[in-house]
Amino acid sequence: MLQLENVSVTFGGLTAVDRVTLSIETKDVVGLVGPNGAGKTTLFNAISGLVRPSGGRIMFDGADVVAAPMYRRARMGIGRTFQIPQPMHELTVRQNLLVAQRFGTGKVDQKKIDEILEFTSLGAKAGRDAATELALTELKALEVAKALATNPRLLLLDEVLAGLETTGKRRFMGMLKDLHAAFSVGIVIIEHDIETISNLCHRVAVLDFGQVIADGTPAAVFSDPAVIKSYTGAEHA
Amino acid sequence: MKSKLALIGALLAVYVGVPLAFGGDSYVMSLVVASMVIGGVALSWALLGNLGGMVSFGHAAFFGVGAYTSALVSMKLGVPVLVAILMGGGGAVVASLLMLPVLRLRGPYFALAILAYAHIFRILATEWTSVTGGSGGLASVPRLPEILGYDLSTKTGGYLVILTIVLAFAALYHFIRVSHYGLALRAMHESEDATRVVGVNSTLLKGLMLVVSAFMCGVVGAFNAHYINFLEPDYAFSGLWVTLPIVAAIFGGYRTITGPIIGAVVVYLVDQLIFKNIIPSGHQLVLGVLLVGMIVFSPEGLLSLVRKFMRKKHVAA
Repeated sequence: MLQLENVSVTFGGLTAVDRVTLSIETKDVVGLVGPNGAGKTTLFNAISGLVRPSGGRIMFDGADVVAAPMYRRARMGIGRTFQIPQPMHELTVRQNLLVAQRFGTGKVDQKKIDEILEFTSLGAKAGRDAATELALTELKALEVAKALATNPRLLLLDEVLAGLETTGKRRFMGMLKDLHAAFSVGIVIIEHDIETISNLCHRVAVLDFGQVIADGTPAAVFSDPAVIKSYTGAEHA
Repeated sequence: MKSKLALIGALLAVYVGVPLAFGGDSYVMSLVVASMVIGGVALSWALLGNLGGMVSFGHAAFFGVGAYTSALVSMKLGVPVLVAILMGGGGAVVASLLMLPVLRLRGPYFALAILAYAHIFRILATEWTSVTGGSGGLASVPRLPEILGYDLSTKTGGYLVILTIVLAFAALYHFIRVSHYGLALRAMHESEDATRVVGVNSTLLKGLMLVVSAFMCGVVGAFNAHYINFLEPDYAFSGLWVTLPIVAAIFGGYRTITGPIIGAVVVYLVDQLIFKNIIPSGHQLVLGVLLVGMIVFSPEGLLSLVRKFMRKKHVAA
């Protein structure tokens, strides 16, 4: 479904993403890990259309989408969440989903919205103001819910668990585990916690200094010496 | 039910009450019409600001282009005046399409760019003498017609026409605001990326609001040209067509629909009937001071100030 071919993103002299080649299918639940500054979020930004790569191709369903603006990629089926939640201001939770659905899919389906609210445990908060009346766990859930409302086939989750307290985190994990099957959506998830990744994903890709240094099953990747080195902050040769 | 009755009552008051009360006094009636013209521009300006998130100093361009388009098609092509007025709105839409490239600019840059655009049209109207009559202007622009035996070219007739135009635009504004587009536009103010990432083409939506706003402003400008039967570039493209409406919209509350209209009527009538008598020259100074006071004490506008005051009184009683 998604093929990245030698994708690079540079900011001035800094190469944040360096010739990344990666392939994601609908059946995939992929963990994207790596130290801070490795380029994980920048890679998401390139895939979703927030930044333009300086080189390489981003193929979605066989078509190069590099030139397509963010809103069009959303309509094609690329959904994402932001690490810092971006609720749509001045709207209620339900209206957030309504806008996402109406503009992301072109139609309105209240039943589907109810399903998503239920799935993300936001049903009781549907009438609340999204930007001012939600707790962090709910804001994170809303990020996922908005993306789901666009009916994505690829979902990019950027640290949806970061900053949550233990109970919130556990509930959220339960939801994420069901997400793939319930919405038949391919998932890439950025996450620092190795246990979480091992728990959720059947595949892990490791990014370091903008490059993919490992890609495989969690067990294989997390025992790879190069990965351990980058993770424990050992000196790079 | 109650709100429907209130609406019918308000409509009766403005359609029947105002003409009955002031229809005999052509001076007051002409002030009321002028205030409604400013109210119409203020409404179109506020729509762009509230829904599109854009501050425009260029609405004089839409006003002038609407006025000239309507005057010219009715004078040179013989188009009936009421149709010509709508075509004036169309002319303003064309002018706004030329402004679309500046939509990617934000905040003060957009405001400046659109101001510069406005001057282009004014120069065009002045220099294109063979069509526009140049700086001498167009005399004897056709009057508003007679409809079902009622002469709309009178002060009261003009009032009924501009009232209908402004109310129709208020209704249009309302329907846009409560639509899905309205929801997305509201969200775009503070969280544009959040809307784009779920599939909202924010640039297109903003462009649509510019077009709608330009249409409204153009129609009002066109009405005005036929109402006063005369046009010249310095009048049609005067900066007052943008400053007064901005004052009115902010005064009344630019994020509401009724605010800009009520603000225009209040500001203009108070200025003309009271301040002008006290300080014959420079009376607009008072408006400036009032506006500053308003922004400091009640940035949400006049209506919210009234509401605040009522609430306090309620508590005290």
